[in-house]
Amino acid sequence: MKAIMSLGALIGVAGLLLLSGMIVGIVPSDTVRLIEGYMPVQVIAELILFVAGFTGISYMMSAMGMTFPRFWQGISCWAFVLLYLKFRVYPPIPFSVRAMYGTVSLVAVFMWVSANEEDWQKFKQPIMNVLDAKTGGNRLLRYAYLIILPILIGGFSYNAMVPKSEEPIELRTVHPAPPASTKVHGKTYTLQTSQNPYRVNPEGKYDQEYSNANIVEQGMGRLMKPNANPWDKDAQGYLKYVREGGEIFYQNCHFCHGDNLNGRGLHAFAFNPIPANFTDPGTIAQLQETFIFWRVSKGGIGLPNEGFPWASVMPPWEQHLTVDEIWKVVMFEYWHTGYYPRTWD
Amino acid sequence: MKNSFSLKAGVLSLTAFGVILLSGNAGGLAFAADSLPAGFKAGALAPEPSADMIEAGKRVYFTKCVWCHGVDGAGDGPGADRLWPRPRNFNQGTFKIRHTASGELPLFDAKKPVEGQNDLFATVTHGLPGSAMPPWEGILTEEQRLQVLSFVTTQLVKDRKFTDTKSESQTVLQLAELAPIAASEESLKKGAELIVEKKCIECHGVEGRGDGNAFNLKDDWGFSIQPANWHKCWNFRGSRQDPYNVKNIFRTFSTGVNGTPMPSFADNTTVEERWHIANFVNSLCERDGEGKPLPIDPQADKPKINFVVPSGKVEGEISADPENELWTKRARRYIAMGGQITHKPRNFVNRIDDLWVKSLYNETHVVFMFQWDDRTKSVAEGKLPWAPTSVNVEVKEQDPKTGEEGSIAAHQNNYTVYNDAVAMETAIKWKELPAPIKPRYLFGSNEQFPMDIVKWEADGSLRAFKGTGWDKDFEQRFDYEENIKLLFSEWKNGRWTVIIQRPLGDKKEQDYDSDTFFEMGQYIPTVFFAWDGHNGDAGRKMAVSAFYYTFLEPPTPQEAYIYPVAIAAGVVLLEGWILTRRSNKRKAKALSR
Repeated sequence: MKAIMSLGALIGVAGLLLLSGMIVGIVPSDTVRLIEGYMPVQVIAELILFVAGFTGISYMMSAMGMTFPRFWQGISCWAFVLLYLKFRVYPPIPFSVRAMYGTVSLVAVFMWVSANEEDWQKFKQPIMNVLDAKTGGNRLLRYAYLIILPILIGGFSYNAMVPKSEEPIELRTVHPAPPASTKVHGKTYTLQTSQNPYRVNPEGKYDQEYSNANIVEQGMGRLMKPNANPWDKDAQGYLKYVREGGEIFYQNCHFCHGDNLNGRGLHAFAFNPIPANFTDPGTIAQLQETFIFWRVSKGGIGLPNEGFPWASVMPPWEQHLTVDEIWKVVMFEYWHTGYYPRTWD
Repeated sequence: MKNSFSLKAGVLSLTAFGVILLSGNAGGLAFAADSLPAGFKAGALAPEPSADMIEAGKRVYFTKCVWCHGVDGAGDGPGADRLWPRPRNFNQGTFKIRHTASGELPLFDAKKPVEGQNDLFATVTHGLPGSAMPPWEGILTEEQRLQVLSFVTTQLVKDRKFTDTKSESQTVLQLAELAPIAASEESLKKGAELIVEKKCIECHGVEGRGDGNAFNLKDDWGFSIQPANWHKCWNFRGSRQDPYNVKNIFRTFSTGVNGTPMPSFADNTTVEERWHIANFVNSLCERDGEGKPLPIDPQADKPKINFVVPSGKVEGEISADPENELWTKRARRYIAMGGQITHKPRNFVNRIDDLWVKSLYNETHVVFMFQWDDRTKSVAEGKLPWAPTSVNVEVKEQDPKTGEEGSIAAHQNNYTVYNDAVAMETAIKWKELPAPIKPRYLFGSNEQFPMDIVKWEADGSLRAFKGTGWDKDFEQRFDYEENIKLLFSEWKNGRWTVIIQRPLGDKKEQDYDSDTFFEMGQYIPTVFFAWDGHNGDAGRKMAVSAFYYTFLEPPTPQEAYIYPVAIAAGVVLLEGWILTRRSNKRKAKALSR
């Protein structure tokens, strides 16, 4: 028991030091980086680690005879969650959302400190002590609260009433419902039945299994399979078309979607919403190839209203590329990220 | 082709060597191994990377790098011809950002991924801001980055050899051991004098906006190259994702930038002088109102963006003088600008990548001050071949694959010169639009969702248009032009300042169907456009921003002074009630005992 708890305490202290070091800037702020796409899981895992750490710390402290009062445990736990949400999570979440999380965690802290009568007594004891003001210190504290609280609350309400400008929040549907079919360069494509004509094996037959076997490997770096180099002079079928798709991508798309298809291209910083990150498991990995074909062909201007067509700088690529080029570049995007397109069934 | 290139590079490096020799003699200095430039020490060449590393690196290269740098590493991959600066041609072994003396190969050791001791590793890790080279940290593992560099340095650098002790040497800037001099006023003053004395301003311009010699500079491959703009340190190639760090400037100044006209100043400056210069250059980088570095967005390595452009309330006339206190005290907003790459002609290389906007308003007008860096003042000669209202003008976009001679880099400074220009576009009837809907950012959606466009051009014209779609010619609004006014416009030392005044508008008097009504306290969708005439910008070939919001700051309402006091009084009452209740309860308890 003690061993487990000391391990927990160690994790807690190390984690706290690391986190505060990263926020203050003593160690590089990307020492432990939040990885895109895994961020929510990562945040939850980190919070669990911290809870374990806090349990350990409080156990160790009481074992060493320095019991940390339940009241301050509750307060500091809540304060920690608030600070964590404010400083750790990047990109930053808006205040209104943080206020929501803050309220939820406040309720959770209350549930924890009032789990049984004894704990609840322990928790509210300090409050009662100040109210009763039996000692000099408590009396002082009581007067302090008497003065500070109205000033603070008055100040907050003044702050809330002074006109301020905050960016209006606009929530947008990232993957709007696709149409049944789309007409590109004069030809109609039914999304449910169309196939990428370049997803073929060296013999020229449509072969999803073959192409799936030759995409880049998942895992750090997302490198190509050693024997599946699209730049191989003898590459035929799928791999040859991947190279052609890549050429189109790096002549047209990387300016926004980035050299690594992560939405960090040259011009990306100027745009809002930021360009899609294809390496995020929430984008092309969730979608069918024909959905991408539709999005690429019609661009931002072709989005339904819930997708905010006015804000998107995504070109309607049918203005710039042929149908064949669009199919190839879509295939390249799946190859380079190592994702399989979703199928309709 | 390749031969002539390496020949050219050879001749160039020979002449460079000659220049160094000559200058050495002229200064009466012996050019010997033991008289290294101040702050440098002789280093050893790193051992050759293992065959395994090179082989593994090939796989990384052909997944990630080949697309721009090409199969032979000649910087001619499929993406190269639409990029400026072009991707690096590795063949000559010329690398920009180094700790080594001018002309030497950069530091690279496949076994030592240490910050400050491995130049190529740092370049791949942090990328080269202001170019298309992204930071690969977090994408490739440390091992993979070392592998790909092992491949590049051994297989793709063809004219030189990283391990050849006969032809190569390493003279390493000891940056870690040189303590920076504090950026005191005295140091900045010395730096300001030194940049004149050392002729920095001849290329970088009097105010360091890179406007000194923006036309005649070429790199080793014959492509146009522009001197750095010291006011945008986040675009320094060698900023290593730490743009306000003076050490980066000291390093670049000490070692020079190989392959470019930027020489090393190690031989003709003392270490102390270099710190003064670095401090001064660093002090020029844009800062906030309190003189603190701008917060940098770690995901973009550019200043963080706030999409609200606040306009401050002023009583009476708004000054037309940018030096007026009203303007100098007013906070400015950073507007990020990208190339217009949605519709033809796309602008792959936008030379204007940000604007600074300030705004003030009074009872009748709202005034916008635009400031942006542009190395050249461009005014079209003669009459433009199209009407001011034309949207679909004859400007050709860069073809995807042309070879070096036809590439976008080769075209730089050879464009037909049009007018520099800036425009702001605001939504008409924005209040009546159903919740999320706005007109499209590019000149509006259609007749139903049009845009109010006010455009200033460097020929002095200020016009108002109505836009009804990206491919629809504008409608000129002469009735509105009577009411807008150009208060100020000036190009000075690489920076435009333009002040435009326009009516606030209101529902009754103005032509509400084509003019934006600037209502106080409301978020008015606003887009900014900018054109650089020397970049051949005209029509849709331009730089664009995302949607921002103009916000006329309302004066503080009286309630803001009354309610908080009432609330505070309420809290006092509540406190009193709690305390009495508690003490009553205690008394009751004591009684019942």
